[in-house]
Amino acid sequence: MTFPPAIDIELGQLAPSITLLVTVFATLLFALWQKDSRQTAAIALVGVATAFGFTLASFLARTGSVSSFGMRFHADTSALALTFLILVGTALAILVSYDQLRRQDLAHPEYYPLMLLSALGAVVMAAAGDLVTLVLGLEIMSLAIYVLSAWRTRSRVSEEAGMKYFLLGSFGSAILIYGAALLYGASGSFVYGDIVTSLTAGVSFTDGVSFAAGGDGGGLLLASLGAVLVLAGLGFKAALVPFHQWAPDVYTGAPTPVTTFMSVVIKVAAFAGILRLVAEVFPYLQPWLLTALAVIVAATLVVGNVAALLQRRVKRMLAYSAVAHAGYVGLAVLAAGEQGMQAAIWYLSAYTLMNIGAFAVLSLVVDAGDEGDSFEHFAGLGAKRPWLALAMTFFLLSLGGIPPLAGFAGKLMVFEAAISQGYLWLAVLGILTSVVALLYYFRVIGAMYFGKSVHPPQAFTSGATTLAIAIALAGTVALGLLPGWWHDLVAVGSLAR
Amino acid sequence: MTAAGMLIIPVLGALLAGFAGERRRLVTAMAALSTLGAFVVSLFLPGARGVDLSWLPGLGIGFSLDPSGAASVLVVVTALVMLPTAVLASLKVEEHPGRFVALLLVAQAGLNGIFMARDLIVFYVFWEATLIPGLLLLGMFGLEKRRAAVVKYLAYAVTGSFLMLVSILALKVLSGAASFHITDLMLVTPNLDASTQTWLFLGLAAGMAVKLPIWPLHSWLVDLNEQNHPSGAADVLGTLYKVGGFGFFAWALPLLPTGAERVAPALLVLAAFTAVYGAVIATTQTSFKRLLAYGSVSHMGIVAVGLFGLHIVGLNGAIYLLAAQMLSTGALFLISGMLYERRGTFDLGTYGGYAKSAPALAAITLFVIFAFIGVPGLGNFPGEFLSLLGAFQTSAWMAAFATLTVIAAGVLGVNLYQKIYQGPQGATLRDIDPLEAYVLVPFVAGIVWLGLSPAPQLQRIESQSQLVVMQLERSIGSEAREQGAGTREAGALAAEPPPGTTTLTLGEQR
Repeated sequence: MTFPPAIDIELGQLAPSITLLVTVFATLLFALWQKDSRQTAAIALVGVATAFGFTLASFLARTGSVSSFGMRFHADTSALALTFLILVGTALAILVSYDQLRRQDLAHPEYYPLMLLSALGAVVMAAAGDLVTLVLGLEIMSLAIYVLSAWRTRSRVSEEAGMKYFLLGSFGSAILIYGAALLYGASGSFVYGDIVTSLTAGVSFTDGVSFAAGGDGGGLLLASLGAVLVLAGLGFKAALVPFHQWAPDVYTGAPTPVTTFMSVVIKVAAFAGILRLVAEVFPYLQPWLLTALAVIVAATLVVGNVAALLQRRVKRMLAYSAVAHAGYVGLAVLAAGEQGMQAAIWYLSAYTLMNIGAFAVLSLVVDAGDEGDSFEHFAGLGAKRPWLALAMTFFLLSLGGIPPLAGFAGKLMVFEAAISQGYLWLAVLGILTSVVALLYYFRVIGAMYFGKSVHPPQAFTSGATTLAIAIALAGTVALGLLPGWWHDLVAVGSLAR
Repeated sequence: MTAAGMLIIPVLGALLAGFAGERRRLVTAMAALSTLGAFVVSLFLPGARGVDLSWLPGLGIGFSLDPSGAASVLVVVTALVMLPTAVLASLKVEEHPGRFVALLLVAQAGLNGIFMARDLIVFYVFWEATLIPGLLLLGMFGLEKRRAAVVKYLAYAVTGSFLMLVSILALKVLSGAASFHITDLMLVTPNLDASTQTWLFLGLAAGMAVKLPIWPLHSWLVDLNEQNHPSGAADVLGTLYKVGGFGFFAWALPLLPTGAERVAPALLVLAAFTAVYGAVIATTQTSFKRLLAYGSVSHMGIVAVGLFGLHIVGLNGAIYLLAAQMLSTGALFLISGMLYERRGTFDLGTYGGYAKSAPALAAITLFVIFAFIGVPGLGNFPGEFLSLLGAFQTSAWMAAFATLTVIAAGVLGVNLYQKIYQGPQGATLRDIDPLEAYVLVPFVAGIVWLGLSPAPQLQRIESQSQLVVMQLERSIGSEAREQGAGTREAGALAAEPPPGTTTLTLGEQR
């Protein structure tokens, strides 16, 4: 045996993560003696842009399935595409935070390092090819975001949000780790590929040990139970019903820039984990797993949309709408294979842009205390701040799935994926709940254009936030008008076995 | 390029009008330029080449437009109607004329897209996108109770069209078609078994029946018209956007002929009832706009009667009436706006005796009312006549019932004119001004044109109707063949039932 042992490390594919890590330390050191948080933000943006560049380079040069550490760290099409989304989401969230932190008096030096750390965890999750790497990424991502959600130290709601998120999040992580342990027990490996090999070989690792009485079925059952627990842990982060309860409170309690970040990046990372698990491992486990997932997706669609309809405040409504959108991505996850993966990634791309856009507009509408997001506060916005209202209209229509915006093309893909896998009933349910969704999105549009102004609109403007809105708007429209190129680019060829 | 121009010109005009904002003269200029440009280009549509671009190849969706067939007629009439409407709107809307005109023009582009689309998803994109300008016009510029009307419109339209979307997606997946292009779909979708076709047809019908609209899904239209901006310009858009009939004609009937044959008899009953119901209810209305709305529902009933007769003559007539009613109904909505401007109300009870003081307006109104109720020689007549004639070929009873509409419409028209222009001479009304005259001239010209020279338009429509009928016959043919084969096999005591068993047993029972 040679020392050091031969480990396959592709530095090129690790570059985005390493860049983010370096930027974390750079911003942390810089922020300690530079009080202006905007300069820290600029450094953070440079770091994210560099990571984006590295990811782009890997994306353009990718050949089939590329991985490091023995299939534990992937840099295939889906991992890289999801990394793009995480980085774009992070960059836009930094832009939204840029002026907002100073306005709300939240500009403490650790803000951007924590956000970047969370993004780093998300990138690791997107690349994870085994359960340990997945847990590692999840914890890096989560611990940072727990802190950020309690960032409004003078607000009880924000403290409660941080506490609730931390407690329930730890619970979720524990479930996930327990599930990983069961999967390891059944197969003797943490790596997805090896788990599958072990399960399909017919000789389960546990056969000789404790589950011998059950024979092959015992190992499979154990693995299936483990997979369910892992799914539950990830479902918690993705805010799938019934693991969604934290989401509305945390989204509402956290500062709006943090909610902007969290509603997109955390969800993308969680779905990255779910997608790989469902695509690579689920087909070899017991079939009731998919039924369970279908039920979860159905519940998410119904609960998310109906609860959103009942909200009086836009931020909370968008929080429930984020839950509902997890359901739409879930439709594509169910379809697992190539087509489903492609649809899910595309839907998440559209979601990233339109959801960040909506939250960015919201951050300009709320007051300096992050309050004032009821429907009345949106009333008359169409007359007072016409461009802001117009942008919001586009984001909301896109979230509602109105063509020719990105949200529509995304819905088209996930429904098509679900129907071709035989989930016609779920597609019908998804469509019917979309009607509800459109009703609550249109309520905001109605307030902006049809209502008379009750409260004077906030005078706060921010060049950086405007830039974020412009980028998100351009993306939402461009992806909607020309959905084909990105759909072709994220075609996942290597996944089908 | 001509086809693409019908999308680009209005969208460009909308952007410019939107940027012009509150500068009214500029908005008017943009409205005039854009609609004139669109109208001129639309005249070159017959025979123009279509557009075929890759859009979402992974899902088999291409951006395909084809301006031939019924599209060429409907796009031209739409352009003719928009010509004066957009200008009128730019001058009559009190606040934000730029927004109003921009929304109208975006909707025009959407309508052109609906009529020209040859890819089912592209059709859906335009269908759904066109809803939003109409909703915003109602919400931003409507009267007091507009919010309820917006919610009702949104709920009806979106529920219908989302169900349509599921049906569209399932259509391709289940039939295994190569793409969403009409030619690819038509090859295989009629081969689906009868019950699948029926379900899919019902899904499509959910969206299309709402937009037709057909009883009992019509009530959103009445509220919409009542609450819209009093100038009537937004109602003209509402009139143009009754595209449900076109949806059946261009997509549902030719794609799912067996489903159509199963469901059509029921829809025909609803259609005939809608026609009579609309006309009868219209005679009882006291609001000018509600009266027009119900009258228009009645027209749509006739359109539906023509369609669900599933006969080529009726199909031609239905689409012809769809085009013609844009002119007569649209003009009446604008006239209602003119009266509102003078009297401040739509209440017919407060009108009366204006013929003396406003003879020119009275004369034009009478002319348009004649067209509205289907007097021969004017726009609506050929369409109405052919629609009913077609239905007589398949179901004489239903057609005869629907023909009762003609009587109700006559009563309606005469009453309407009497209430506004005759009666006690007392109140005086300002007669038509040059702008209003300019606004109404294209409508009158169009009504005469469609009334006196229907042949060229009918010919274009028929080129598409033939396709529909061919598909329908394919279904009848296949069912008959299955029945024949079934009887033979039954005679030979065949062990395995053939695929068409259900139709076979039904056939034997008859």
